[in-house]
Amino acid sequence: MNASKLREVLSLGKFAVTAECGPPRGANAEVINKKGTLLKGYVDAVNVTDNQTAIVRMSSIAACSHLIGMGIEPVMQMVTRDRNRIALQSDILGAYSLGIRNILCLSGDHQTFGSEPGAMNVWDIDCMHLIHTVRKMRDEGKDLSGFELNTAPKMFIGAVENPFADPFEFRVLRLAKKVAAGADFIQTQCVFNMERFKEWMRLAYEQGITEKVHILAGVTPLKSARAAKYMATRVAGMSVPDSVIKRMESAPKGKVSDEGFKICLETVHELRKIKGLHGIHIMAIEWEEKVSEIVKAAGLFPR
Amino acid sequence: MVENLKVVSATTFKPENAEYSKPKITLFHCINAISSLTDLVNLNCDITEIQMPCSSMTREVFLLRAFEAGADAVIVIVCPKGTCRYIEGNIRAGKRVARMKKLLDEIGLDGRRLEIFYIPQGDQTALNDAIYQITDNLAALRSNPTA
Amino acid sequence: MIVGEQKPLAEIKDKVSSYSKLLILGCGTCVKTCFAGGEDEVAILASALRLSFRKDDINIKIEELTIERQCEDEFIKEAATAVGRNDAVLSLACGAGVQMIANRFARSPVLPGVNTTFIGVLEKQGLFTEKCLGCGNCMLDIFVGICPISRCSKKLFNGPCGGSQNGKCEVNAEIDCAWQLIIDRSKSFGQMDRLITYIPPKDWRSSQAGGPRKLVREDHII
Repeated sequence: MNASKLREVLSLGKFAVTAECGPPRGANAEVINKKGTLLKGYVDAVNVTDNQTAIVRMSSIAACSHLIGMGIEPVMQMVTRDRNRIALQSDILGAYSLGIRNILCLSGDHQTFGSEPGAMNVWDIDCMHLIHTVRKMRDEGKDLSGFELNTAPKMFIGAVENPFADPFEFRVLRLAKKVAAGADFIQTQCVFNMERFKEWMRLAYEQGITEKVHILAGVTPLKSARAAKYMATRVAGMSVPDSVIKRMESAPKGKVSDEGFKICLETVHELRKIKGLHGIHIMAIEWEEKVSEIVKAAGLFPR
Repeated sequence: MVENLKVVSATTFKPENAEYSKPKITLFHCINAISSLTDLVNLNCDITEIQMPCSSMTREVFLLRAFEAGADAVIVIVCPKGTCRYIEGNIRAGKRVARMKKLLDEIGLDGRRLEIFYIPQGDQTALNDAIYQITDNLAALRSNPTA
Repeated sequence: MIVGEQKPLAEIKDKVSSYSKLLILGCGTCVKTCFAGGEDEVAILASALRLSFRKDDINIKIEELTIERQCEDEFIKEAATAVGRNDAVLSLACGAGVQMIANRFARSPVLPGVNTTFIGVLEKQGLFTEKCLGCGNCMLDIFVGICPISRCSKKLFNGPCGGSQNGKCEVNAEIDCAWQLIIDRSKSFGQMDRLITYIPPKDWRSSQAGGPRKLVREDHII
């Protein structure tokens, strides 16, 4: 695997599809194999999270390496919470040498939420710095200190944006800032509040940002009314309209997840109409089997 | 500032143990809340009266030192909420007493040995009730184990 | 000022339990202003400890002394005789003071009675908040007077993160999102373009990460 397949798909103007894979809380890669098998062929790339929610899991770089072994293209997520600029750059070099071609740069969830709340956090650099660093390594062939690398890691650089966090007017500014720092693609927080998302996309489009960066909208199929309510109230930066919660609550027993699936498909359908949106990022957490169904039902298969 | 009142005779307090001496109560009060303690109901207890020019002079260290001096219980009498002559005195007294009650629990003496009462000037009944309440607490708590 | 909180009574009692003559040494500066270790707090703690030990039938002798500051030798030497006649010193100063006492009175066991927490301000009566981490290279002009190092839970230089909601931090709804404050203030100055400017990574050498620091003023050394 020599170049980023995700980049290829996007540069050809195709509507991209990515999904997510959470590594196991243990040293056995079997979980990754299972999830990978469910996703292979249905998506252009698979994100591998980096100790998400600050819960200790198999490292992203290792899990990505396992996916490559299965012939699946990974997107290695990197948070700046746990590693300083030395370790991060080191892992970028290592990742590239293992065949990883896509990096998603994030600041990361605070460690007080995770399995080691007493741990010291790092945050030597933030996600903006990380984007900038990866770009410098790629385009100038130098690390942050200015040292010339023997081989530059030619990474496809991603970042996240959350159109649903506050303050709204700043979210487009921040998007522009990430693009200026070097982001090639953006994956957003999952879309339930279509109105707000469309507004954010409209502003991005008007400011010409959608021509400089590939935006992929996050989608999540809801499994239950409880999941919907949990997301609405307990997850920071998530916007779930009451209408969605009502639909999930009023769905007949045994048909609730079907309703969630339906809402997801409707969302994808709406998203495909948005100017400047170049793909979707399906986050079917612990419901990876749904990804293939969504992709097929949305008319996005074969890839 | 410390004045010992004359001992009053027993009516309601019934000691279980013959050796159990009269409960020693230190009574801090703001002079605006109580002007005189002479009409206190007859109770078999030793009351040490400590007058304060303002309830904000209810200082934590004095409350603790009262226990060090052998008090079985300490009560603080201040004016009711909203009527403090110096506006905040009774509020501050209340907060400090609350904090010291917790500390008394941590010390192992039990916070119920310390109580604050908000009593309008001249309300003899309320004053007597305060004494009743604290002696009630003491019936369960017994004498100061550190004395 | 430096802010700290007195340790819980049980913890202090445990620390001093092996000594029969204890000096509780208070400090009249920072810890006095945050009600952790000033003269009043020394008196309360001494009384509480005596009562608590007496309940265990232990008669501990506690001496109480408060000096102006425990971070300057000029004041510390005033405590010399008191330290000398006791078995141990329970210092209610901040960590700096405790260490200075321990250093000065090298043969006396010195115990901390206060947990030093942060450099902060008294926002209003009874409320102290953290404001400064001592990074050694102040950039408060760039951040319009709000420090993202001490006040952003993630030390973001190009914030906010996606967890900022209703002006509050994702870690704890009682924490104001520092970046929301920076944005609001930038807006009030009509300087929103500040927020698009890329702020590069910090050189942490000026902070504690570069090793314990010192300040030498030759002009004051005779």
